[in-house]
Amino acid sequence: MPRIDLPQGTLDLLILRTLALEPQHGWAISERIQQISSDVLRVQQGSLYPALHRLERRGWIKARWGTSENNRRAKYYELTKTGRKQLEVEKDAWDKLTAAVAQVLGAAQG
Amino acid sequence: MFRDVWLRMRALLRRKLVETELDDELQFHLERQVEKYVKGGLSGEEATRRARVEFGGVEQVKEEYRDARGVHFIETVLQDLRYGLRTLRKNPGFTAVAVLTLALGIGANTAVFTVVNGVLLRPMPFPEPERLVLVSLTPRGGPFEWQPGVSDRDYLAFREQDQAFERITSFSSRATGNLTGAGDPVQIPVAYVTTDFFPTLRMNPAIGRGFVAEEDEPGRDNVAVLSNELWKERFGADPEILGKTVRLDGISHTVVGVMPAGFAFPEVKVWMPLKIRIDEHNSFTRPVVGRLKPGVTSQQAQAELEAFADRRPLGPGESKKDRIAQIIPLKDLLVANIRPSLLVFAGAVAFVLLIACANVANLFLARAASRGHEMALRSTLGAGRWRLVRQLLTESTLLSITGGVCGILIAFWGVPALLALAPAGRVPRMEMVRMDGWVLAYTFGISVITGVVFGLAPAFQATRSDPRESLSQAGRSVTGSHERMRSALTVSEIALALVLLTGAGLLLKSFLRLRAVNPGFSPHSVITITVDLPDSAYRTGAQMREFHARTLGELSRLPGVSASGAVNLLPLGGFLTMGTFQVEGSQRPPGFMVDKPCISPGYFKAMGIPLLRGREFTEGDNETAPGVVLVSQSVARTLWSGQDPVGKRISMEDEPKPEDWLTVVGVVDDVKQQGLAKGSDPAIYQPYLQIASAFFLSHMTFVVKTTSSPESVAAGIRTVLRSVDKNQPISVASMDTLIAATTAESRFQARLLAAFAVVSLALTIVGIYGVLAYSVAQRTREIGVRMALGAQGADVFGMLLRKALALVSAGIVIGWAGALVLTRVLEKFLFEVKPADLPTFAAVTVILALSALAACYVPTRRAMRVDPMVALRYE
Repeated sequence: MPRIDLPQGTLDLLILRTLALEPQHGWAISERIQQISSDVLRVQQGSLYPALHRLERRGWIKARWGTSENNRRAKYYELTKTGRKQLEVEKDAWDKLTAAVAQVLGAAQG
Repeated sequence: MFRDVWLRMRALLRRKLVETELDDELQFHLERQVEKYVKGGLSGEEATRRARVEFGGVEQVKEEYRDARGVHFIETVLQDLRYGLRTLRKNPGFTAVAVLTLALGIGANTAVFTVVNGVLLRPMPFPEPERLVLVSLTPRGGPFEWQPGVSDRDYLAFREQDQAFERITSFSSRATGNLTGAGDPVQIPVAYVTTDFFPTLRMNPAIGRGFVAEEDEPGRDNVAVLSNELWKERFGADPEILGKTVRLDGISHTVVGVMPAGFAFPEVKVWMPLKIRIDEHNSFTRPVVGRLKPGVTSQQAQAELEAFADRRPLGPGESKKDRIAQIIPLKDLLVANIRPSLLVFAGAVAFVLLIACANVANLFLARAASRGHEMALRSTLGAGRWRLVRQLLTESTLLSITGGVCGILIAFWGVPALLALAPAGRVPRMEMVRMDGWVLAYTFGISVITGVVFGLAPAFQATRSDPRESLSQAGRSVTGSHERMRSALTVSEIALALVLLTGAGLLLKSFLRLRAVNPGFSPHSVITITVDLPDSAYRTGAQMREFHARTLGELSRLPGVSASGAVNLLPLGGFLTMGTFQVEGSQRPPGFMVDKPCISPGYFKAMGIPLLRGREFTEGDNETAPGVVLVSQSVARTLWSGQDPVGKRISMEDEPKPEDWLTVVGVVDDVKQQGLAKGSDPAIYQPYLQIASAFFLSHMTFVVKTTSSPESVAAGIRTVLRSVDKNQPISVASMDTLIAATTAESRFQARLLAAFAVVSLALTIVGIYGVLAYSVAQRTREIGVRMALGAQGADVFGMLLRKALALVSAGIVIGWAGALVLTRVLEKFLFEVKPADLPTFAAVTVILALSALAACYVPTRRAMRVDPMVALRYE
């Protein structure tokens, strides 16, 4: 199964998007991203946890300790208000970028 | 924002909790992954393995996570500090040697910097001192070129038109006055200052007032301002001092003010008003200080002064280029002379620190080799190289700061020692020398830099090795590169030490040469007594001559005195008068000027100046007798080469009348008048009894040759002087002391540099010893094998000696190159020694080489005694 390493900077966007649905712990976030992307995108733990912490420091997500589906103590992350706004901003930026890239690629083909 | 700070604080203050949380989080992640794989049908073991492999190094993730926390830096620094302290405590011997070495280097630097800071750097203690500058317009190339000043005429003209200055003042420095009526008579330094002096400096008397505008007019100018020191010392801090009179040179001055404590500019005790006026013969040049208007830079003032110098009317035979226009920082008036010496010391002492650094770096390298295993282990466990380097640097900085703290203690003791060593009265602004914030900041700064400098190389070296290799070799890592670096450090140490030794050697040789100079007289067991007769008490030359004659008579009758005489300009006394004269029947060679001392009969005998021809002066050579002179040998040679000078006639007048001709009655040997380093000065001596002008008689030095110890005679001399006139202050000193004072600066330089050189030599020997001993220890096995294979002790000896010689000769060659370049800065301090003096270079090289070989002795002996069996079993 071909896998793509995440381009720089997109991990933040994916985390924010994933958390927009519901609060999640770290493992679930990586699972969810992998699932939704049909196993194409894989998040390395080595970048996931530093990224989570970075987002927390920026105030876009906050963490609390909760109980997991199998009754274990787990650290849950959820979006903050500013995080939600940030998600919009980043999503817009991403849409514009991909549209532009697609346009360029399309033009080059045609 | 607030959240960010809160999170960082939490991470910092509740580190343990945060760490546990991180552990838990990662653990949870791993477990979920394992569960997932198990569900997927893997065995528990296989699932765990796969999850772990996938996850990568837990510790690496943690490191990165910690980095993201943002307090990682502070945290690791704290961690490194704790770890460093532990490591240093574990090796007390290593720590003690390193700290001591650094303390020596940093302490010496701190001590020298404390003096440099006080004397050269600290601002003058006046309000807004940066706006105070010296204005100087001095003749180019003259003897006073280095002495900032402005002639009275230029001062008055410049003051009329200048735009840059708020106020400007001129004053005479280096004047003295005889203070009487307040304890023993004493000669004190005084300054005559224009009435703008205190306002320009913005210093007001603590009691009373400064000078008002008209107090520079004759008749109103008998006023004085006292220094706080004098007021306390001589007037018991009398609160009613204002309006009272003090007698200076026999003239009463009304005290109008007392300055605040600590104010003595320009190093005087009394200030009196000065009126600058121009008369026909006035050619006074005095220091001028100006206070720049706010916002005016000294460059602007410089431009203005240059413009003025361009416009000023030229004197006869003067061209525009003949005057140097300069705006100089005020401090330079006091410190310009001492600056080059101090900077040389600062440079030399920096070398000591560099050598100390090299030594400690060597220690670190040795330890790094034995810590290679530890480093490899830590790097395998996830520590990045930068992280390891930082930790080692933290350790070295910790060490250097400890050294710095001890260094401050050394400096506390070193600064007074340094000042005590300095020639008395030659270091200005000594009262400014103290350990202030700048000194502490400097020490802290060089400590940190030192730590990084000596720590950097070992740190990179220690963390370079491949962990696998290091671990597999059970901690005995390859030391080839270590050894190269240690050798390089040793070579640079030797080179640095050689430069310092050469500098010290040159100064020492110069000093010895200077001391060996024959002054032309015999200074031993000669006591000098100098008197300045004020013209208020002694109005005419005749009155002064009477004082001298009475004193001479009394002195010659003292027990223990074998000869006595008097001279108005004592050789090496710091005075110089060069004058012209006329020769009967021929022309004085152009530019040939002579010294013109006035002496009493018996002077030559007391001074041990040999009479070469003719006769000495007698009591009979008085004002009623025909005028006579004695000439020095160089005068005789210049004027009457090959002829008998006795009987020739000269005159001191430009257009001599018949009665002005003076007959040469004898020839004496030449004498060094200006200084031991200077040439002998041609002199024409006149008998003081034939001198009428009070100007040439007021300052007189009596010289007394003693047969018993000078100290026992000194008391009698004081009694004699008091009995002749109890109001005149005298200064008594042995001729030996006076001569020693003229070479004091040179001795100070030589001693200080020699001290630095000795310290650096000692450090270097320790360094060489360390490298060799370490090398022997490392190669014990190799040496054992060699000896087992039949090598003799001598072979081993030769092998190590070659190594040592290679190091030493490399260091010496580099040191020579450095010394050739650097000793040039000493040129102006050297007397009859060239900076590239071959014998000095040779001598210090031999000293260094011998010391280095001595340092090799112990390790080499140890190597020769290596027992092959023991060495091999060692494995």
